[in-house]
Amino acid sequence: MTDYDALVVGSGIAGMESALKLGDMGYKVLLVEKEASVGGRMILLSKVFPTLDCASCISTPKMAASIHHPNVTALTYTEVDGISRDGAGTFKATIRRKPRFVDEAACTGCQLCETACTVAVPDQFNADMVARRAAYIAFPQAVPKKAVLERAGTSPCTYTCPAGIKAHGYVSLIRSGEYEKAFQLVLEATPLVGTLGRACYAPCEGECARGSLEGTLPIRRLKRFAADRHYEAIDGPGVEVPPANGKGVAVVGSGPAGLTAAWQLARRGYRVKIFEAAPVAGGFLRLAIPAYRLPAEVVDHDISNVTAVGVEIATDSPVTDLEALRRDGFDAVLVATGTPLSTSLNVPGEKLDGVVSGLQFLRATRLGSAADLTSKRVVVVGGGNVAMDAARTAVRFNAAETTVAYRRGREEMPAHKAEIDDAERDRVRFLFQVGPVEVVGDAAGHVTGLRCQRMALGKPDASGRRRPEPIKGSEFVLLCDTVLVAIGMAPEGSAFGGRSASNTNGTLVADPRTLQTAVPHIFAAGDVATGASDITRAVGQGRRAAHMIDRWLKGEPLAGFEMDDVLPVADKTKVLARQTRYTHSTALDQATDTTAPRPDFAEIEAPMTEAEALAGSSDCLDCGVCSECQECVTACPSDAIHLDMREQIQEVSVGAVVVATGYKLFAADAKPEYGFGRYKNVITGMQMDRLLAPTRPYNTVLRPGDGKVPERIAFILCTGSRDETVGNPLCSRFCCMYSIKQNQLIMGALPLAEVTVHYMDIRAPGKRYDEFYEGAKSMGATYVKGRVAKITEKDDGNLVLRYEDIEHGGALVEAEYDMVVLAVGVQPNREVDRLFSGDDLALDAYDYVAEPNEDMDPGRTSIPGVFVAGAASGAKDITDSILHAGAAAAQVAAHLESLKVPA
Amino acid sequence: MTALKREIREIVREEPFMRGRILAVLAEGPHTVPEIAEAIGRPANEAMYWVMGMRRYGWVREVKEAAVDGYFRYQAVAREQRP
Ligand SMILES: Cc1cc2nc3c(=O)[nH]c(=O)nc-3n(C[C@H](O)[C@H](O)[C@H](O)COP(=O)(O)OP(=O)(O)OC[C@H]3O[C@@H](n4cnc5c(N)ncnc54)[C@H](O)[C@@H]3O)c2cc1C
Ligand code: SF4
Ligand code: SF4
Repeated sequence: MTDYDALVVGSGIAGMESALKLGDMGYKVLLVEKEASVGGRMILLSKVFPTLDCASCISTPKMAASIHHPNVTALTYTEVDGISRDGAGTFKATIRRKPRFVDEAACTGCQLCETACTVAVPDQFNADMVARRAAYIAFPQAVPKKAVLERAGTSPCTYTCPAGIKAHGYVSLIRSGEYEKAFQLVLEATPLVGTLGRACYAPCEGECARGSLEGTLPIRRLKRFAADRHYEAIDGPGVEVPPANGKGVAVVGSGPAGLTAAWQLARRGYRVKIFEAAPVAGGFLRLAIPAYRLPAEVVDHDISNVTAVGVEIATDSPVTDLEALRRDGFDAVLVATGTPLSTSLNVPGEKLDGVVSGLQFLRATRLGSAADLTSKRVVVVGGGNVAMDAARTAVRFNAAETTVAYRRGREEMPAHKAEIDDAERDRVRFLFQVGPVEVVGDAAGHVTGLRCQRMALGKPDASGRRRPEPIKGSEFVLLCDTVLVAIGMAPEGSAFGGRSASNTNGTLVADPRTLQTAVPHIFAAGDVATGASDITRAVGQGRRAAHMIDRWLKGEPLAGFEMDDVLPVADKTKVLARQTRYTHSTALDQATDTTAPRPDFAEIEAPMTEAEALAGSSDCLDCGVCSECQECVTACPSDAIHLDMREQIQEVSVGAVVVATGYKLFAADAKPEYGFGRYKNVITGMQMDRLLAPTRPYNTVLRPGDGKVPERIAFILCTGSRDETVGNPLCSRFCCMYSIKQNQLIMGALPLAEVTVHYMDIRAPGKRYDEFYEGAKSMGATYVKGRVAKITEKDDGNLVLRYEDIEHGGALVEAEYDMVVLAVGVQPNREVDRLFSGDDLALDAYDYVAEPNEDMDPGRTSIPGVFVAGAASGAKDITDSILHAGAAAAQVAAHLESLKVPA
Repeated sequence: MTALKREIREIVREEPFMRGRILAVLAEGPHTVPEIAEAIGRPANEAMYWVMGMRRYGWVREVKEAAVDGYFRYQAVAREQRP
């Protein structure tokens, strides 16, 4: 027994016909279609020749029947990955149901997702003549009429963001003018929208697919733009505060990890209190990162988001006993105390007056208590971001000279490249490959210099960077008055009170996935758990901690689920291959313009103007297609959209297979002399059929170059057929007829239009076809015999055809038209090659599925039990496809019955 | 019309970005595609994609009376009448 009697691959008119006939005979049929609707090409046509019946009126009943037939199971948006014959003469097929990201049962086909979607792509069902959306219903008569979301993976920017911010989503909202929604999308992850818009090191930009074109999108600054717009207009986050759930969480530390966790927990109804040791909240955002990069007001705005949802922040409140918090009624505790301690140099003289830790210096600066450095010579030891901030701050305090001494080379510096460049622009001097050996001082105990030795770079160490090795006898003294030490940071352990274990580097021991410590109700997140990192990573940790604490407090397991279950990252090579040429709408210059050091701590980076933000975001390539902006999720009244759906692979056994995969259209740009793809008013026959269909892309037949109602239209028959120059000697059998049909329909729709057809022969061999041709002539269409050699485009978009007028002496003639239709022919669908494994499905000399005994045994292929229906075995019009599909169904029935007869 | 035609995918992608500019032009009254193109300083074949995309999703509609000089005019759809 097999799961199904027959598998029909492809649901064009032929596939539907075979499936329905077999179903009517009582066989169980599995009909598989890769697109989101059944119906194939026929449903996209205007009318059919020669009856001029409306194509959708006559195909929709069959489409509905294929979905509802009791014996036919139709799977749309599904691919057949492989078919192989098993021992018993039956087949095993691997079926891959692509995720629609829409619950078919819940979707009502209302199209609200489509209207809300922020991503526009060419509509393949309208032959690329108009845009559709990433969320779409294939076409108005789609069966099933259910939406799908086109997703090609997670966009690289979003995938790479450690904070879990949907970067592509907010970029696509900004380009749609939805600035507040962009802000809200970032808020979903973190309250620190303004902060990240300024001080984030933007790993997204490092991955942006446009990076290999003219440069990355300004993804970070776009976020800042959204934040600036929001804070200009709205106080607080503009979100609703949820009802309290009765549980409380204490958060120790108000840096990005603590603030983010508090925000997330409060939005789930927890009573959250943050305990902060410092006099101001914000952690390093307020007490380390200099104001010229991150103004205090911006952090304050971000923090007010957190307090607006009910989080209480107690400053000047160091926690010394984590256990006491439990007694104070908090159900869980999150330690997010960061790494406030500086690693010491461990050299003699470190206690001299004038040696200050970089962190202390930055903190004093932000608290307004830093010592004056006017005319001082400052040496900063270290090569990380703190060293860069300290050096650039020293410049702003009018230091006479600021030198960064780093023991390795520039390439090995851990600081972000942009920070190093900015420091250089601020006229910070760099001394590479020097290590401090002693701080030298005068009798009064003041620093006078730093004794250093030169370093050679040896083999790479555990960090992958080359190890600095002292060069004997290379010592020298760098004269200076101040030494700022910025060589590393560590957590401050006193708050842990011995209850939670620490690693040797001082970080708290917590499970890297759950962030839970050995004490179940205590979690640890951010730099205190990971060691010094950056804002985005700390934000990501805060989100994770909130999620885990929430689950733990609800009694849910902390294992067995993925927190951010994202699709694999979109392949940038494939993304870039979607186009062959790229242009770029604007040359956005980096807003940072610091040709001379700024005298003050005013913010350096200029805000983006609205025009800059729109232009910058409009360059986005929509790598993952869907941007995950969530607009459809919000718009859907049936809650049908689920971005977490994943593909499902199914194995089925079947008694027979019908290949009904149809044809491909000739790619008209392969005849460059006709200018398709270059000339704006040269279209294909399929495009003309769409223009004439009731569900047309425009309001009527218009030329695509400028929307003019065309008055003079030319057809060029046999484009890509009967043409050895493109490797296709075959006649495509229906292009003459569909052109004649279109001639009649155009003359009906545009009574003033003149229609001229350039042909070699007219092939009208079917029932009433010739009469149909004569009808078109008598309506006024002109038929001119002779091949068109070349088309040229005029400035007004008109097209000049050069052709040989065979019936008038063979002279070369030129004629001008508003619009040209190329009656493209068909090509084999080569996808069938990869359907079968084990047996080769034989193809004929032209790569269509071969019917070895075509005359006497139509529909049979080279593999016993595999049959072919419709245009997959060669060009056929609808009537012939239906006849052929009926024959294939009869062949399948005969085959299935023969299996039952005992040998 | 002879400037190099950009790829369709690239043109289409810009519709959400162009929407605001086109609606600003239509705020002054109905326009043909070439008029819109001129007002926003972009080629007419590109404006055609944007206007037709906007038409499909209910932002604009054609003025019903037949074309003037062979061109239809398109007008903005009031916000409350959009889908
Ligand atoms: C411009 C134009 C106008 C035409 N006008 C007419 C007309 O007026 N009258 C007329 O008789 N004929 C007309 N034709 C011809 C008509 O389109 C074909 O005769 C008919 O579509 C053939 O049907 P089919 O089922 O064999 O193939 P198709 O319609 O091509 O259907 C094949 C189906 O298989 C699916 N498929 C392909 N590969 C796979 C796979 N691996 N797994 C699952 N599914 C797959 C495809 O998505 C598609 O849905 C016209 C053709 C063109 C181009
Ligand atoms: S998440 Fe956004 S981009 Fe993706 S389909 Fe929905 S609306 Fe479109
Ligand atoms: S092109 Fe757009 S989607 Fe792709 S990585 Fe860049 S910003 Fe993200």
